[in-house]
Amino acid sequence: MSKMFSPIIAAREGLFSLAGTLGKMGIIAHQIGRRLFRLDFDHEEFWRNMYKMGVKSLPIVALTALFTGATMVVQAAPIVQRYGAQQLLGWGAGFGILREVGPVLTALMISGRVGANNTAELGTMTVTEQIDALRALAIDPIAFLIVPRFVAIVLTLFLSTLYADAVALIGAAYAGQALVGVDPSTFYNGLTSGYMGIADVTNGLIKSIIFGIAMGLASCHFGLAVSGGAPGVGRAVNATVVASAAGIFVVDYFVSFILG
Amino acid sequence: MIQIQHLSKTFVHPVLRNVTLRVPAGCLYGLIGPGASGKSVLLKMITALMRPDAGTLHVDGQDVLGLSEIELASFRLKFGMLFQNNALFDSMTVADNVAFPLRRLGQLSETEIAARVRERLSAVSLAEFAERIPSSLSGGQKKRVGVARATITQAPIIFYDEPAAGLDPVTSQKIFDLLRKEQETARTTVIMVSSDVDRLLTVTDRVGMMYRGSLVFDGTTSEAQTSEHAHVKQFIHGLAEGPL
Amino acid sequence: MSVDANVETTSALPSEGGLAASVGRAVFEAIDSASQIYGVLVRTLYYVARARIDRDAVIRQMYEIGNRSVFLLSVVIGFIGMIFVLQAGLQMQRVIPDLTMLGASFLELLVRDLAPSIVALMLATRVGAGIAAEIGSMVVTEQVDALRMCGADPVDYLVKPRFLASLIMTTMLTLWSGAVSVGSGMVTAEVIFQVSPRTFWNLHLVHASDLATGLTKCIAYGAAIPIVSSHCGLSTFGGSEGVGSATTRAVVQSSLAVIVLNFIISSAAFIAFK
Repeated sequence: MSKMFSPIIAAREGLFSLAGTLGKMGIIAHQIGRRLFRLDFDHEEFWRNMYKMGVKSLPIVALTALFTGATMVVQAAPIVQRYGAQQLLGWGAGFGILREVGPVLTALMISGRVGANNTAELGTMTVTEQIDALRALAIDPIAFLIVPRFVAIVLTLFLSTLYADAVALIGAAYAGQALVGVDPSTFYNGLTSGYMGIADVTNGLIKSIIFGIAMGLASCHFGLAVSGGAPGVGRAVNATVVASAAGIFVVDYFVSFILG
Repeated sequence: MIQIQHLSKTFVHPVLRNVTLRVPAGCLYGLIGPGASGKSVLLKMITALMRPDAGTLHVDGQDVLGLSEIELASFRLKFGMLFQNNALFDSMTVADNVAFPLRRLGQLSETEIAARVRERLSAVSLAEFAERIPSSLSGGQKKRVGVARATITQAPIIFYDEPAAGLDPVTSQKIFDLLRKEQETARTTVIMVSSDVDRLLTVTDRVGMMYRGSLVFDGTTSEAQTSEHAHVKQFIHGLAEGPL
Repeated sequence: MSVDANVETTSALPSEGGLAASVGRAVFEAIDSASQIYGVLVRTLYYVARARIDRDAVIRQMYEIGNRSVFLLSVVIGFIGMIFVLQAGLQMQRVIPDLTMLGASFLELLVRDLAPSIVALMLATRVGAGIAAEIGSMVVTEQVDALRMCGADPVDYLVKPRFLASLIMTTMLTLWSGAVSVGSGMVTAEVIFQVSPRTFWNLHLVHASDLATGLTKCIAYGAAIPIVSSHCGLSTFGGSEGVGSATTRAVVQSSLAVIVLNFIISSAAFIAFK
């Protein structure tokens, strides 16, 4: 409580550091893009990270999706009962899951599990001068470390979202049966009733790719920018999760708006 | 009196193997041994900061392993402890760090506490550092703050884990002499872990040696110095040849 | 449990067993940590009831949790208001071309679920990571052991102030965030769907049961986040890598706690109030 909290100063400082961070992330994006275009990156490191990030996250993604799907049904249930429109349950829950809740919650969980972990690893490598050691051996750290991780994060989030969508719909169908008494087949019919289209699925998946890009850039940027030893790594991890969370919602709005 | 019987603990590898040890009341016990031989773990076992997998442990006749976490809180007030890495609270000033155990006891007024803190800090020649925060101190200074904090409650049992690490030879000898003098006047039970074997043995009554989780030697200081036990002989005399 | 987590993050090679085994292991670990977390909760409540409360420590933690999160929360919840109104409006247009109930449904869902749950998810990330990192580094530097040696149970000394501060601040931040998102939702409704603020501000669908549900969620989340992340911090193992993995565990586990609690409370409310 050393100094009084001033929202104006905080907002100004926040904006300045935001602009700086976005600029640096842009530079990393450019460096990654160039190497990605030439397919110049370490494939072994990519597959190792795919396993570590993707496969290892499956249980947590499944748990999240199951409960999220069920919760969506609970939220939609009063409307169903109010209008007695059982065939609308699949539409109401499915629409929310596919377009918004699935991609966003999966992204939040992956950001905590994968993005933060990646920052901690890169940050530890930075403070222990392992990145400099790579440079000294004439190995390009971007191609060797960053691009594989970035691609793995984007792919992990995309595939996890696909998987989470499916698990969440199953969770929703059975929660609908248990709580509202809507038969799962009625629920699935509601999903394909015509109110919903393929756009609802692709919309969510496009979002997941953009979330993944934002999260991957933030995670790699904060990991490489660590300074100040072990406490610095802690600060960087915190910065990554906060930036990813804020980024997900901001990006979500603009993508929803553009895709309509 | 501290009585340990058949104490064992395994994390990934065994860190204590069947340790049996008796430290009589009023004894200054020196614990020596190479790095990672289980000395610090043993101290944490006795204060119930860690739980053993097997064995029994009695302090002044009390069965420590039978105490609940809430009963342990008052049990631990018997002890003063200097940690290997000092464990100073980095959110508090030096004076608040040293005063913390006394404040927790809640028996003395703030003025009495302040007087005791001043006395302790000057005993370790850090009187002028009272208002500094730990991160601004050197390694040796932190160590001495830790010593001041460990001794402030005049606990009947005190453990020092490496009281002289990072100190120059002169300060180091001064600390050992100070701790010995205070132990003799108060008749405290002390276990001291130190890799500075030469200085440690000038103050101890008894010595034990740990090696790979086992207690390989336990005897008086003079027995230790003349011991023909291969590990002890090599370690105390710092020989390059031997089983270690 | 903390040892396992450590091994998991450091080993890159496939471990034994397939997906089923890893799900099984995850469930087993979850049950194990749930019982430990329950232990921390019980001890915290014991100390809240029985021991002196250090007001200064609680206020310091309220500042940490509240003031330092308010900027992030305002941004996120502002966008949530816009997203919800946009998506709900687009859907409603498809089914019933009448948007007069847009505001009413928004406010209903906001009170019952959106405001507390989104705030809690954000706090699980920001505050959960902070608590775990702070307590975790006190564990690896033996400061927690030093506390225990002074007869100060870390649950009393470290967890309790965070617990009380979080209970208060989660509720306060939910109120604030609710207000921000109503503002942003109202503007979106006006600009995109030409729904006037007067039509939008319709509290017809907000019942006492919705308020009770929302408040229950605030309290449950406010209690769960500090308890779960303190437990992650206290079970830190190893050096600075240990602190890193404790931090990520805190984020994941407290987010999961929010999601699971949301389901439990929402279903309980649905069954109780229907």
